[in-house]
Amino acid sequence: MEVFIEKENNQVTASLIGRLDTPASLEIAPQMDSLKEDAGGTIILDCSQLEYISSSGLRIFLALRKAAAEKGGKVIVRSISNEIRSVFMMTGFLNLFEIQ
Amino acid sequence: MGAKTTLPTLDFHSQEIMQQYHQLLPAYEKIASHVSGQLKNFFDEAGIILAAIEHRVKTESSLAGKLLKKGGKYKDIYDITDITGLRVITFYIDDVDKVASALERLYEIDWENSIDKRKAHEIDSFGYLSLHYICRIPESAYSDPKYPEINKIRFEVQMRTVLQHAWANMNHDTGYKSGVEIPKAYLRNMSRIAGMLELIDDEFSRIRRELSDYRRRVQKLVASGNLSDVQLDGDSFKSYLSIKPFEPLTKRIASINQAEIQEVDLSKFLPVFKTLGFNTLGDIDAMVKAYSDAAYQIACFQIGLTDLDILSSSVAPQDLCTAYILKNGGGIMGLKQMLDTLNGPSEVNDAMAEFLMEQSKDLPFMNQ
Repeated sequence: MEVFIEKENNQVTASLIGRLDTPASLEIAPQMDSLKEDAGGTIILDCSQLEYISSSGLRIFLALRKAAAEKGGKVIVRSISNEIRSVFMMTGFLNLFEIQ
Repeated sequence: MGAKTTLPTLDFHSQEIMQQYHQLLPAYEKIASHVSGQLKNFFDEAGIILAAIEHRVKTESSLAGKLLKKGGKYKDIYDITDITGLRVITFYIDDVDKVASALERLYEIDWENSIDKRKAHEIDSFGYLSLHYICRIPESAYSDPKYPEINKIRFEVQMRTVLQHAWANMNHDTGYKSGVEIPKAYLRNMSRIAGMLELIDDEFSRIRRELSDYRRRVQKLVASGNLSDVQLDGDSFKSYLSIKPFEPLTKRIASINQAEIQEVDLSKFLPVFKTLGFNTLGDIDAMVKAYSDAAYQIACFQIGLTDLDILSSSVAPQDLCTAYILKNGGGIMGLKQMLDTLNGPSEVNDAMAEFLMEQSKDLPFMNQ
Protein backbone atom coordinates (compact mmCIF):
# COMPACT_ATOMS: atom_id res chain seq x y z
CA MET A 1 0.00 0.00 0.00
CA GLU A 2 1.36 3.39 -0.95
CA VAL A 3 0.22 6.94 -0.34
CA PHE A 4 1.41 9.96 -2.28
CA ILE A 5 0.59 13.32 -0.81
CA GLU A 6 0.61 16.49 -2.85
CA LYS A 7 -0.12 19.93 -1.43
CA GLU A 8 -1.21 22.87 -3.49
CA ASN A 9 -2.58 26.13 -2.09
CA ASN A 10 -5.47 25.27 0.21
CA GLN A 11 -5.82 21.76 -1.14
CA VAL A 12 -4.08 18.50 -0.39
CA THR A 13 -4.43 15.36 -2.48
CA ALA A 14 -3.62 11.92 -1.12
CA SER A 15 -3.39 9.23 -3.80
CA LEU A 16 -4.03 5.79 -2.33
CA ILE A 17 -2.52 2.88 -4.23
CA GLY A 18 -3.14 -0.78 -3.46
CA ARG A 19 -5.25 -2.57 -0.84
CA LEU A 20 -6.29 -0.64 2.25
CA ASP A 21 -6.72 -3.56 4.61
CA THR A 22 -6.05 -3.57 8.37
CA PRO A 23 -2.22 -3.92 8.23
CA ALA A 24 -2.02 -1.32 5.46
CA SER A 25 -4.23 1.04 7.49
CA LEU A 26 -1.79 0.80 10.40
CA GLU A 27 1.10 1.39 8.03
CA ILE A 28 -0.31 4.53 6.45
CA ALA A 29 -1.98 5.91 9.61
CA PRO A 30 0.83 8.43 10.39
CA GLN A 31 0.76 9.79 6.84
CA MET A 32 -3.02 10.05 6.84
CA ASP A 33 -2.97 11.62 10.31
CA SER A 34 -0.70 14.35 9.00
CA LEU A 35 -3.48 15.35 6.58
CA LYS A 36 -5.51 16.58 9.55
CA GLU A 37 -3.25 19.63 9.66
CA ASP A 38 -4.80 20.62 6.34
CA ALA A 39 -8.34 19.75 7.35
CA GLY A 40 -9.33 23.42 7.26
CA GLY A 41 -9.08 23.31 3.46
CA THR A 42 -9.96 20.62 0.95
CA ILE A 43 -8.61 17.09 1.31
CA ILE A 44 -8.94 14.99 -1.82
CA LEU A 45 -8.60 11.25 -1.43
CA ASP A 46 -7.77 9.98 -4.89
CA CYS A 47 -8.94 6.37 -4.96
CA SER A 48 -8.45 5.68 -8.66
CA GLN A 49 -5.80 3.04 -7.78
CA LEU A 50 -7.37 1.82 -4.56
CA GLU A 51 -8.25 -1.86 -4.95
CA TYR A 52 -9.88 -2.68 -1.62
CA ILE A 53 -10.96 -0.98 1.60
CA SER A 54 -11.56 -2.59 4.99
CA SER A 55 -13.28 -1.20 8.10
CA SER A 56 -9.91 0.12 9.26
CA GLY A 57 -9.60 2.06 6.02
CA LEU A 58 -13.12 3.44 6.45
CA ARG A 59 -12.15 4.59 9.96
CA ILE A 60 -9.24 6.56 8.49
CA PHE A 61 -11.59 8.25 6.02
CA LEU A 62 -14.03 8.95 8.83
CA ALA A 63 -11.35 10.48 11.08
CA LEU A 64 -10.41 12.86 8.25
CA ARG A 65 -14.06 13.78 7.73
CA LYS A 66 -14.39 14.54 11.44
CA ALA A 67 -11.26 16.70 11.46
CA ALA A 68 -12.49 18.57 8.37
CA ALA A 69 -15.92 19.13 9.93
CA GLU A 70 -14.28 20.58 13.04
CA LYS A 71 -12.01 22.89 11.06
CA GLY A 72 -14.57 23.92 8.45
CA GLY A 73 -12.92 22.05 5.58
CA LYS A 74 -14.14 19.18 3.43
CA VAL A 75 -13.09 15.74 2.24
CA ILE A 76 -13.66 14.71 -1.35
CA VAL A 77 -13.38 11.06 -2.31
CA ARG A 78 -12.38 10.90 -5.95
CA SER A 79 -12.54 8.13 -8.56
CA ILE A 80 -13.64 5.15 -6.49
CA SER A 81 -14.31 1.89 -8.23
CA ASN A 82 -17.82 0.46 -8.16
CA GLU A 83 -16.60 -2.25 -5.80
CA ILE A 84 -15.43 0.25 -3.20
CA ARG A 85 -18.47 2.43 -3.83
CA SER A 86 -20.65 -0.56 -2.93
CA VAL A 87 -18.72 -0.91 0.37
CA PHE A 88 -19.45 2.74 1.05
CA MET A 89 -23.10 2.17 0.29
CA MET A 90 -23.51 -1.01 2.34
CA THR A 91 -22.02 0.71 5.38
CA GLY A 92 -23.99 3.92 4.92
CA PHE A 93 -20.82 5.89 4.24
CA LEU A 94 -21.77 6.89 0.73
CA ASN A 95 -23.69 10.00 1.75
CA LEU A 96 -21.10 11.06 4.33
CA PHE A 97 -18.57 12.15 1.71
CA GLU A 98 -18.58 14.24 -1.40
CA ILE A 99 -17.83 11.63 -4.00
CA GLN A 100 -16.53 12.65 -7.42
CA MET B 1 -2.17 62.30 5.34
CA GLY B 2 -5.79 63.06 6.30
CA ALA B 3 -7.21 66.55 6.36
CA LYS B 4 -7.03 68.16 9.78
CA THR B 5 -10.48 68.75 11.29
CA THR B 6 -11.12 72.32 12.30
CA LEU B 7 -12.65 72.34 15.75
CA PRO B 8 -15.01 75.08 16.88
CA THR B 9 -13.69 77.59 19.40
CA LEU B 10 -14.82 76.47 22.81
CA ASP B 11 -15.10 78.31 26.12
CA PHE B 12 -12.65 77.53 28.90
CA HIS B 13 -14.95 75.03 30.66
CA SER B 14 -15.56 73.09 27.47
CA GLN B 15 -11.83 73.09 26.71
CA GLU B 16 -11.22 71.50 30.12
CA ILE B 17 -13.77 68.80 29.24
CA MET B 18 -12.01 68.23 25.92
CA GLN B 19 -8.74 67.76 27.80
CA GLN B 20 -10.39 65.17 30.06
CA TYR B 21 -11.72 63.45 26.92
CA HIS B 22 -8.20 63.05 25.53
CA GLN B 23 -6.93 61.65 28.82
CA LEU B 24 -9.80 59.17 29.08
CA LEU B 25 -9.92 58.14 25.41
CA PRO B 26 -8.17 54.75 26.00
CA ALA B 27 -10.69 53.96 28.76
CA TYR B 28 -13.63 54.83 26.49
CA GLU B 29 -12.21 52.56 23.81
CA LYS B 30 -11.63 49.80 26.33
CA ILE B 31 -15.25 50.00 27.52
CA ALA B 32 -16.50 49.85 23.91
CA SER B 33 -14.51 46.72 23.08
CA HIS B 34 -15.08 45.02 26.45
CA VAL B 35 -18.86 45.54 26.50
CA SER B 36 -19.21 44.63 22.84
CA GLY B 37 -17.33 41.35 23.37
CA GLN B 38 -19.17 40.57 26.59
CA LEU B 39 -22.59 41.14 24.98
CA LYS B 40 -21.66 39.01 21.97
CA ASN B 41 -20.65 36.10 24.22
CA PHE B 42 -23.70 36.54 26.43
CA PHE B 43 -26.17 36.41 23.52
CA ASP B 44 -24.31 33.56 21.80
CA GLU B 45 -24.60 31.49 24.97
CA ALA B 46 -28.25 32.47 25.44
CA GLY B 47 -29.00 31.42 21.84
CA ILE B 48 -30.30 34.86 20.90
CA ILE B 49 -29.42 35.63 17.30
CA LEU B 50 -28.74 39.30 16.73
CA ALA B 51 -28.48 41.27 13.52
CA ALA B 52 -25.48 43.25 14.82
CA ILE B 53 -23.67 44.74 17.77
CA GLU B 54 -22.01 48.03 16.87
CA HIS B 55 -19.79 50.21 18.99
CA ARG B 56 -18.07 53.54 18.58
CA VAL B 57 -16.32 56.20 20.63
CA LYS B 58 -17.43 59.75 19.94
CA THR B 59 -14.89 61.64 17.84
CA GLU B 60 -13.18 64.77 19.00
CA SER B 61 -15.09 66.93 16.50
CA SER B 62 -18.43 65.40 17.42
CA LEU B 63 -17.81 66.05 21.11
CA ALA B 64 -16.66 69.59 20.37
CA GLY B 65 -19.90 70.19 18.45
CA LYS B 66 -21.91 68.89 21.38
CA LEU B 67 -20.01 71.09 23.84
CA LEU B 68 -20.49 74.13 21.63
CA LYS B 69 -24.26 73.61 21.75
CA LYS B 70 -24.70 72.66 25.40
CA GLY B 71 -21.30 72.62 27.11
CA GLY B 72 -22.62 74.51 30.15
CA LYS B 73 -24.93 71.61 30.93
CA TYR B 74 -22.04 69.36 31.91
CA LYS B 75 -20.11 69.68 35.14
CA ASP B 76 -17.32 67.47 33.85
CA ILE B 77 -16.67 64.72 31.27
CA TYR B 78 -18.40 62.10 33.45
CA ASP B 79 -21.73 63.91 32.90
CA ILE B 80 -21.59 63.09 29.19
CA THR B 81 -22.98 59.61 28.90
CA ASP B 82 -22.72 58.83 25.19
CA ILE B 83 -19.00 59.16 24.52
CA THR B 84 -18.88 55.37 24.36
CA GLY B 85 -21.95 54.19 22.51
CA LEU B 86 -23.11 50.72 21.55
CA ARG B 87 -26.02 49.62 19.46
CA VAL B 88 -27.59 46.20 19.69
CA ILE B 89 -29.74 45.46 16.66
CA THR B 90 -32.18 42.57 16.91
CA PHE B 91 -34.22 40.78 14.27
CA TYR B 92 -37.34 40.55 16.42
CA ILE B 93 -39.10 43.17 18.51
CA ASP B 94 -39.47 40.69 21.41
CA ASP B 95 -35.69 40.37 21.55
CA VAL B 96 -35.24 44.07 22.33
CA ASP B 97 -36.68 43.38 25.80
CA LYS B 98 -34.41 40.34 26.19
CA VAL B 99 -31.39 42.50 25.38
CA ALA B 100 -32.59 45.05 27.93
CA SER B 101 -32.89 42.32 30.58
CA ALA B 102 -29.36 41.17 29.79
CA LEU B 103 -28.02 44.71 30.25
CA GLU B 104 -29.86 45.00 33.57
CA ARG B 105 -28.17 41.80 34.67
CA LEU B 106 -24.67 42.72 33.49
CA TYR B 107 -24.43 46.45 34.27
CA GLU B 108 -25.65 49.17 36.60
CA ILE B 109 -28.41 51.06 34.82
CA ASP B 110 -28.79 54.79 35.30
CA TRP B 111 -32.59 54.76 35.17
CA GLU B 112 -32.91 58.51 35.47
CA ASN B 113 -31.12 59.03 32.17
CA SER B 114 -32.26 55.91 30.30
CA ILE B 115 -35.02 56.44 27.75
CA ASP B 116 -37.67 54.16 26.37
CA LYS B 117 -38.64 55.99 23.21
CA ARG B 118 -41.12 53.23 22.44
CA LYS B 119 -43.32 54.67 25.19
CA ALA B 120 -42.72 58.29 24.31
CA HIS B 121 -45.15 58.34 21.39
CA GLU B 122 -48.67 59.68 21.44
CA ILE B 123 -51.28 57.11 20.46
CA ASP B 124 -51.73 58.73 17.05
CA SER B 125 -48.10 59.30 16.11
CA PHE B 126 -45.38 57.08 14.71
CA GLY B 127 -41.67 57.63 14.51
CA TYR B 128 -38.34 56.79 16.12
CA LEU B 129 -38.65 53.73 18.36
CA SER B 130 -35.67 52.65 20.39
CA LEU B 131 -34.69 51.82 23.91
CA HIS B 132 -31.63 53.62 25.29
CA TYR B 133 -29.93 52.51 28.48
CA ILE B 134 -27.21 54.46 30.24
CA CYS B 135 -24.97 51.90 31.90
CA ARG B 136 -21.87 51.53 34.02
CA ILE B 137 -19.68 48.45 34.51
CA PRO B 138 -19.86 47.50 38.20
CA GLU B 139 -16.45 47.02 39.82
CA SER B 140 -17.62 43.67 41.16
CA ALA B 141 -18.09 42.46 37.57
CA TYR B 142 -15.00 43.80 35.83
CA SER B 143 -12.13 46.16 36.50
CA ASP B 144 -8.76 46.81 34.97
CA PRO B 145 -5.91 48.52 36.87
CA LYS B 146 -4.71 49.93 33.55
CA TYR B 147 -7.99 51.84 33.23
CA PRO B 148 -9.03 52.82 36.78
CA GLU B 149 -11.81 55.13 35.48
CA ILE B 150 -13.57 52.30 33.65
CA ASN B 151 -16.08 51.76 36.47
CA LYS B 152 -16.84 55.46 36.77
CA ILE B 153 -17.61 56.16 33.12
CA ARG B 154 -21.17 55.77 31.92
CA PHE B 155 -21.91 54.57 28.39
CA GLU B 156 -25.00 54.35 26.22
CA VAL B 157 -26.53 51.25 24.69
CA GLN B 158 -29.24 51.66 22.07
CA MET B 159 -31.48 48.68 21.42
CA ARG B 160 -33.69 48.40 18.35
CA THR B 161 -34.82 46.06 15.61
CA VAL B 162 -33.31 46.02 12.13
CA LEU B 163 -36.42 47.74 10.77
CA GLN B 164 -36.29 50.45 13.45
CA HIS B 165 -32.59 50.79 12.67
CA ALA B 166 -33.25 51.19 8.94
CA TRP B 167 -35.93 53.80 9.59
CA ALA B 168 -33.76 55.72 12.07
CA ASN B 169 -30.80 55.73 9.67
CA MET B 170 -32.86 56.96 6.74
CA ASN B 171 -34.56 59.59 8.86
CA HIS B 172 -31.22 60.69 10.27
CA ASP B 173 -29.66 60.77 6.84
CA THR B 174 -32.31 62.95 5.28
CA GLY B 175 -33.77 64.68 8.26
CA TYR B 176 -33.25 66.23 11.59
CA LYS B 177 -29.56 67.08 11.57
CA SER B 178 -29.71 69.04 8.32
CA GLY B 179 -30.69 72.25 10.05
CA VAL B 180 -33.22 72.96 7.34
CA GLU B 181 -36.91 73.02 8.13
CA ILE B 182 -38.34 69.72 6.94
CA PRO B 183 -41.35 69.75 4.60
CA LYS B 184 -44.52 68.42 6.25
CA ALA B 185 -45.13 65.98 3.39
CA TYR B 186 -41.74 64.35 4.10
CA LEU B 187 -42.49 64.07 7.82
CA ARG B 188 -45.90 62.59 7.07
CA ASN B 189 -44.38 60.02 4.67
CA MET B 190 -41.67 59.03 7.16
CA SER B 191 -44.36 58.71 9.81
CA ARG B 192 -46.41 56.45 7.50
CA ILE B 193 -43.35 54.24 6.93
CA ALA B 194 -42.67 54.11 10.68
CA GLY B 195 -46.23 52.90 11.26
CA MET B 196 -45.87 50.29 8.55
CA LEU B 197 -42.53 49.02 9.89
CA GLU B 198 -44.02 48.81 13.38
CA LEU B 199 -46.73 46.56 11.97
CA ILE B 200 -44.16 44.44 10.12
CA ASP B 201 -42.06 44.09 13.29
CA ASP B 202 -45.16 42.87 15.13
CA GLU B 203 -45.98 40.47 12.29
CA PHE B 204 -42.47 38.96 12.30
CA SER B 205 -42.79 38.36 16.04
CA ARG B 206 -46.26 36.89 15.62
CA ILE B 207 -44.99 34.50 12.91
CA ARG B 208 -42.10 33.44 15.13
CA ARG B 209 -44.47 32.80 18.04
CA GLU B 210 -46.80 30.74 15.81
CA LEU B 211 -43.85 28.72 14.51
CA SER B 212 -42.71 28.02 18.08
CA ASP B 213 -46.26 26.98 18.99
CA TYR B 214 -46.35 24.68 15.95
CA ARG B 215 -43.02 23.10 16.93
CA ARG B 216 -44.24 22.52 20.47
CA ARG B 217 -47.48 20.94 19.20
CA VAL B 218 -45.50 18.67 16.86
CA GLN B 219 -43.14 17.64 19.65
CA LYS B 220 -46.14 16.82 21.85
CA LEU B 221 -47.78 14.74 19.11
CA VAL B 222 -44.52 12.92 18.39
CA ALA B 223 -44.00 12.24 22.10
CA SER B 224 -47.56 10.96 22.50
CA GLY B 225 -47.24 8.70 19.46
CA ASN B 226 -50.00 10.39 17.41
CA LEU B 227 -47.75 10.36 14.38
CA SER B 228 -50.50 10.10 11.79
CA ASP B 229 -51.69 13.58 12.81
CA VAL B 230 -48.32 15.15 12.08
CA GLN B 231 -47.62 16.46 8.58
CA LEU B 232 -44.18 15.57 7.28
CA ASP B 233 -41.95 18.65 7.07
CA GLY B 234 -38.52 19.80 8.20
CA ASP B 235 -39.62 20.62 11.75
CA SER B 236 -41.72 17.53 12.31
CA PHE B 237 -39.05 15.24 10.85
CA LYS B 238 -36.46 16.75 13.19
CA SER B 239 -38.75 16.08 16.16
CA TYR B 240 -39.34 12.55 14.87
CA LEU B 241 -35.61 11.89 14.58
CA SER B 242 -35.20 12.99 18.20
CA ILE B 243 -37.11 9.86 19.31
CA LYS B 244 -34.62 7.76 17.31
CA PRO B 245 -37.13 5.78 15.25
CA PHE B 246 -34.48 3.87 13.29
CA GLU B 247 -32.30 2.96 16.26
CA PRO B 248 -33.71 -0.54 16.94
CA LEU B 249 -33.12 -1.52 13.30
CA THR B 250 -29.67 0.11 13.25
CA LYS B 251 -28.65 -1.89 16.32
CA ARG B 252 -30.06 -5.05 14.83
CA ILE B 253 -28.06 -4.50 11.63
CA ALA B 254 -24.93 -3.62 13.62
CA SER B 255 -25.25 -6.87 15.56
CA ILE B 256 -24.67 -8.84 12.32
CA ASN B 257 -20.94 -8.05 12.52
CA GLN B 258 -20.83 -6.55 16.04
CA ALA B 259 -20.21 -3.29 14.22
CA GLU B 260 -19.50 0.10 15.70
CA ILE B 261 -22.24 2.64 14.81
CA GLN B 262 -21.30 6.13 13.68
CA GLU B 263 -24.21 8.46 14.42
CA VAL B 264 -24.86 10.80 11.50
CA ASP B 265 -27.47 13.41 10.65
CA LEU B 266 -30.43 11.66 9.04
CA SER B 267 -32.30 14.78 7.96
CA LYS B 268 -31.23 14.20 4.34
CA PHE B 269 -33.72 11.32 4.23
CA LEU B 270 -36.65 13.77 4.42
CA PRO B 271 -36.69 14.43 0.65
CA VAL B 272 -36.41 10.67 0.05
CA PHE B 273 -39.52 10.03 2.16
CA LYS B 274 -41.25 12.88 0.35
CA THR B 275 -40.50 11.34 -3.05
CA LEU B 276 -41.85 8.05 -1.76
CA GLY B 277 -45.16 9.87 -1.27
CA PHE B 278 -45.17 9.94 2.52
CA ASN B 279 -47.26 12.79 3.92
CA THR B 280 -47.21 12.22 7.67
CA LEU B 281 -44.81 10.89 10.26
CA GLY B 282 -47.30 8.05 10.64
CA ASP B 283 -46.46 6.96 7.08
CA ILE B 284 -42.76 6.66 7.97
CA ASP B 285 -43.55 4.91 11.22
CA ALA B 286 -45.76 2.41 9.41
CA MET B 287 -42.91 1.75 6.96
CA VAL B 288 -40.45 1.16 9.81
CA LYS B 289 -42.82 -1.40 11.33
CA ALA B 290 -43.68 -3.11 8.04
CA TYR B 291 -40.25 -3.17 6.38
CA SER B 292 -37.71 -3.63 9.19
CA ASP B 293 -37.42 -7.36 8.58
CA ALA B 294 -36.90 -6.79 4.86
CA ALA B 295 -34.27 -4.10 5.54
CA TYR B 296 -32.52 -6.50 7.90
CA GLN B 297 -32.48 -9.18 5.19
CA ILE B 298 -30.81 -6.71 2.79
CA ALA B 299 -28.21 -5.75 5.41
CA CYS B 300 -27.50 -9.41 6.27
CA PHE B 301 -26.94 -10.21 2.61
CA GLN B 302 -24.72 -7.18 2.07
CA ILE B 303 -22.46 -7.26 5.10
CA GLY B 304 -23.01 -10.70 6.63
CA LEU B 305 -20.17 -12.24 4.67
CA THR B 306 -17.79 -9.32 5.07
CA ASP B 307 -15.65 -8.22 8.01
CA LEU B 308 -17.06 -4.68 7.89
CA ASP B 309 -17.47 -3.69 11.51
CA ILE B 310 -18.22 -0.01 11.18
CA LEU B 311 -21.57 1.36 10.01
CA SER B 312 -23.17 4.73 9.80
CA SER B 313 -26.61 5.15 11.34
CA SER B 314 -27.94 5.99 7.86
CA VAL B 315 -27.80 2.29 6.99
CA ALA B 316 -31.18 1.56 8.58
CA PRO B 317 -33.26 4.22 6.77
CA GLN B 318 -31.34 3.49 3.55
CA ASP B 319 -32.14 -0.23 3.70
CA LEU B 320 -35.74 0.51 4.74
CA CYS B 321 -36.20 2.75 1.70
CA THR B 322 -34.56 0.14 -0.54
CA ALA B 323 -36.91 -2.55 0.73
CA TYR B 324 -39.95 -0.27 0.39
CA ILE B 325 -39.05 0.74 -3.18
CA LEU B 326 -38.41 -2.81 -4.33
CA LYS B 327 -41.47 -4.24 -2.65
CA ASN B 328 -43.69 -1.55 -4.14
CA GLY B 329 -42.49 -1.94 -7.72
CA GLY B 330 -40.17 1.04 -7.84
CA GLY B 331 -37.44 -1.08 -9.41
CA ILE B 332 -34.08 0.25 -10.54
CA MET B 333 -35.52 3.67 -11.40
CA GLY B 334 -36.90 4.05 -7.88
CA LEU B 335 -33.57 3.03 -6.35
CA LYS B 336 -31.69 5.44 -8.60
CA GLN B 337 -34.04 8.25 -7.59
CA MET B 338 -33.34 7.46 -3.93
CA LEU B 339 -29.56 7.48 -4.50
CA ASP B 340 -29.77 10.67 -6.56
CA THR B 341 -31.71 12.34 -3.75
CA LEU B 342 -29.32 11.14 -1.07
CA ASN B 343 -25.99 11.50 -2.82
CA GLY B 344 -26.68 13.98 -5.58
CA PRO B 345 -27.51 13.05 -9.18
CA SER B 346 -24.80 10.97 -10.79
CA GLU B 347 -24.47 8.38 -13.52
CA VAL B 348 -22.78 5.98 -11.12
CA ASN B 349 -26.03 5.82 -9.14
CA ASP B 350 -27.35 3.71 -12.05
CA ALA B 351 -24.69 1.10 -11.36
CA MET B 352 -25.37 1.24 -7.62
CA ALA B 353 -29.11 0.89 -8.20
CA GLU B 354 -28.51 -2.17 -10.38
CA PHE B 355 -26.18 -3.56 -7.70
CA LEU B 356 -28.87 -3.10 -5.02
CA MET B 357 -31.49 -4.67 -7.26
CA GLU B 358 -29.28 -7.63 -8.05
CA GLN B 359 -28.50 -8.21 -4.38
CA SER B 360 -32.09 -7.96 -3.22
CA LYS B 361 -34.15 -9.62 -5.91
CA ASP B 362 -33.85 -13.15 -4.51
CA LEU B 363 -34.17 -12.26 -0.85
CA PRO B 364 -37.12 -13.82 0.99
CA PHE B 365 -39.03 -10.55 1.46
CA MET B 366 -39.28 -10.10 -2.30
CA ASN B 367 -41.18 -13.33 -2.60
CA GLN B 368 -43.48 -12.93 0.42
